[in-house]
Amino acid sequence: MAEGVVKRYGSRLAVDHVSFEIPAGTVYGLLGPNGAGKSTLVRMLCGVLRPDGGRVTVLGWPVPSFRVQMQLGYMPQDVALYADLTVDQNLAMFGRLYDIPRGQIASRAEELLDLVDLRERRREKVGALSGGMQRRASLAVSLVHRPRVLFLDEPTAGVDLRLRNALWEHFRALDAEDVTLFITTHLMDEVERCRLLGYLHSGRLLAEGSVPELIASSGRNSLEGALTALLEEEGEPE
Amino acid sequence: MRSLLIAGNVLRRILSDRRTVLLVLLTPLLFVLLYGTSFSSRHTHLTIAVVDKDNGLASVRTAEIGRVTLSVHLASRLLTAVVKEGFPIIKETRVEDAEEAVRSGGAWAAIVFPAGFSNAIVNEALRLGGERTMRFEGREVRLLPPETTLDIRVTLFVDDSNPLISSSGLAILQQAFSDIVSDQQRGLSVDAMLDLRPIYDGEITNLDYTAPGIIAFAITLISVMLTAVSIVRERTGGTLTRILVAPVRSAEIVTGYAAAFTVVAGIQAVELVAVSRFAFGIRLAGSVALVALILFLFVLGLQGLATLLSTIARNEFQAMQLVLILLIPSIMLGGVFWPPEALPPSLRALAQILPLTHANEALREVMLAGRGISAVTVELSALVAFAVATLAAGTWSMRRQLRRG
Ligand SMILES: Nc1ncnc2c1ncn2[C@@H]1O[C@H](COP(=O)(O)OP(=O)(O)OP(=O)(O)O)[C@@H](O)[C@H]1O
Ligand SMILES: [Mg+2]
Repeated sequence: MAEGVVKRYGSRLAVDHVSFEIPAGTVYGLLGPNGAGKSTLVRMLCGVLRPDGGRVTVLGWPVPSFRVQMQLGYMPQDVALYADLTVDQNLAMFGRLYDIPRGQIASRAEELLDLVDLRERRREKVGALSGGMQRRASLAVSLVHRPRVLFLDEPTAGVDLRLRNALWEHFRALDAEDVTLFITTHLMDEVERCRLLGYLHSGRLLAEGSVPELIASSGRNSLEGALTALLEEEGEPE
Repeated sequence: MRSLLIAGNVLRRILSDRRTVLLVLLTPLLFVLLYGTSFSSRHTHLTIAVVDKDNGLASVRTAEIGRVTLSVHLASRLLTAVVKEGFPIIKETRVEDAEEAVRSGGAWAAIVFPAGFSNAIVNEALRLGGERTMRFEGREVRLLPPETTLDIRVTLFVDDSNPLISSSGLAILQQAFSDIVSDQQRGLSVDAMLDLRPIYDGEITNLDYTAPGIIAFAITLISVMLTAVSIVRERTGGTLTRILVAPVRSAEIVTGYAAAFTVVAGIQAVELVAVSRFAFGIRLAGSVALVALILFLFVLGLQGLATLLSTIARNEFQAMQLVLILLIPSIMLGGVFWPPEALPPSLRALAQILPLTHANEALREVMLAGRGISAVTVELSALVAFAVATLAAGTWSMRRQLRRG
């Protein structure tokens, strides 16, 4: 999917030659501390940011391209909805950008509102919702066109525990439907639920693999220990 | 297709907030009301200090009964005319006081009528105009020109610190003077010597002349600001990113925005023209459809320009600053107050790239002179070229900037 991807902001190297390949239908967790370059990487993967070097392909097609964009869903780290429109109106607006007929959007909206538990607030302006509710609305909008590949930038940040578990259940259900999920987080317990994970630090992908693989190769007994070991190798003890 | 969707979404968001709708509708209204009332006023209400030493008498020779004294009170008559024009008057007895009133700002001008004012005017009129007959105490007498010339002048102190006001105020005063003089002189007046043939029959007022430019300027101000800030807001709010993740082209985003705001600006333009026409009676000699076409092309180009500006600005604040930078040359060079031909050559070239110059020119041809489409093809082509160029540049710039991050 990504080959030697590089992104600079001025003199700062935000993403430094990152390469990986994710098999279709996998839940991939990208772990990294604040400023590691997770959001920057995700934005390049979904085609809103052009890499300074390297190549990104999704489902075998270069990004951005019409074919890929139709299949791709993206939930940005910030809410990115029209605060002056209602939840329903936001769903309708973005649904129609994917040529989904109105009737189909309406039935899809029902499902999604149940998923993110916003049925009662659907006719309220997004700006009038709480921060966590806005993030839930944002997730619903990202799912409206049933994307085959989904990029979620910290989808559960600011969402309460009960709903977080519900969302992870849904992610697993999507996984079962062969949807590829790419989820960024800085929470250890969340990546442990992913089939594959990558650890990004200062723009570089330090490790990649399944959780047991990573633990085994480090010789420690937990994921946390494995990642600490990686940082020590880098000469940056925490 | 997707651009229509984006346009619809922009309009829906404007309509969803009652305050935005009100502002969109009221801003042009406020603009017209202010410029209409201030431009149609003739700069009266300016106080004039007067020192009137005129005794009101004129002593003239007659062929039949020798010298007679007529009571004509010309200074008072002149003052009455001036008051009728709307100038308040304060009487002073000393010339120094009157002059001081002007210097201190208490009056805009001071007029000093000398003692023999009426006498001098009547006799000068006779000298220049020749003999005249009149009825005096029941009989017909012939008035004879004076033997010597009388040189008695009226002194006028003027506060010329504001040339615009002083010239328009002076014009009114001069008119009052020449009315009085020609009254006295009948046969020989300026009118008889100068064959003045105004093309527009003197029907075009200052307001008429400036209205097309002011209307076009108001649209520029309101519309470019609104569009540029909206696009920047869509970007900083992150929704533009979401639109880009969807299968949407930059061109579709730009045309969507341009379409929506052309509709908004079109409504505002109609409002500006209609209120100017019906509340202030500005001249609209030509075809209304042609005026609409000119405004449409102009507004379309402005949307392209706004898009371009919005991609250069990093945030809403910078967008506003950029719009202001654009507006300053427009009002100075766009021919709103003086024609672009009156500019130095270096600036004239700059004026030619401003869409306002061409819109203003075309609107004047149609609104003032009542010309048809063939008279404005050059301007219309310039507006079309401007719209195409800015929309293309806006699209290119948006594509470049968005993916750069
Ligand atoms: N638009 C930008 N202009 C300049 N620098 C940027 C920009 N966006 C990100 N950066 C820088 O790039 C680096 C990576 O940022 P990024 O947002 O990708 O981190 P992140 O891993 O998503 O962090 P977080 O966990 O806080 O979301 C940071 O040092 C950040 O300051
Ligand atoms: Mg981030």
